[in-house]
Amino acid sequence: MELDKFIQHFAAQFEETDISKFSADTKYKELTEWSSLMALAIIGMADEEYDVKIKGDDIRNSQTINDLFIIVKSRK
Amino acid sequence: MKITNYGVTLSRLTEDKIELVRNWRNDPKIVQYMEFKEYITPEMQLNWFNKINNENNYFFIIEFEGKEIGLINVKNIDYEEKAGEGGIFIYDDNYLNSDISFRSILCMTDFCFETLLLKRLIAHVLKNNKRAIQFNKLLGYQIADNQDDIQNQLYNLSKEEYSIKKERIKRLF
Repeated sequence: MELDKFIQHFAAQFEETDISKFSADTKYKELTEWSSLMALAIIGMADEEYDVKIKGDDIRNSQTINDLFIIVKSRK
Repeated sequence: MKITNYGVTLSRLTEDKIELVRNWRNDPKIVQYMEFKEYITPEMQLNWFNKINNENNYFFIIEFEGKEIGLINVKNIDYEEKAGEGGIFIYDDNYLNSDISFRSILCMTDFCFETLLLKRLIAHVLKNNKRAIQFNKLLGYQIADNQDDIQNQLYNLSKEEYSIKKERIKRLF
């Protein structure tokens, strides 16, 4: 499981945010487009791309995309 | 009639609340996403309420922590077809990006499938309302055939697809 690919999958959930805004250190909850809708989209992305179940608490307890990557990777 | 689940309460719309809903509905931030965009007068609102205050239409005020924050509905229920049309708007901006809309939708959709025993819901979404389209897809709605050239597009939600997506949505809370 690669971080770059995870960031790509993460970014693909966003409609309006420029791709350049996404990196391992991006504090994704500070993005203007972030909402519960995006949280659910990310949960769905982890389900479909990695077959990993994450919860709202995982999102609440992480700050950066890398934080979430580590959580998903640990459950693979 | 009240339904409480997932941390929200849905209170069936009563005549004393139709002025509140009219004011919400006439606000440009709501009108922009509605197919009917004309100003709604008190008389029009009362006529509308008299048409929908029956067992074929359930409109509920969404309440969260004692505040009335939006409206959710299933309308035009066909009990033979076991189908109805869903709709929602959150008026209070404080809750627009929160999970309240998902909590409300689960509460309402459970009511449709488990109490009213419907098997299918439909929704109409304006083509330019990207947020609502994404929202509906995450709920399991799928766009109907031949909608490309239509402004107010038709989506379908089966009970089976909802059951799958519901488990994912519940992980948000």
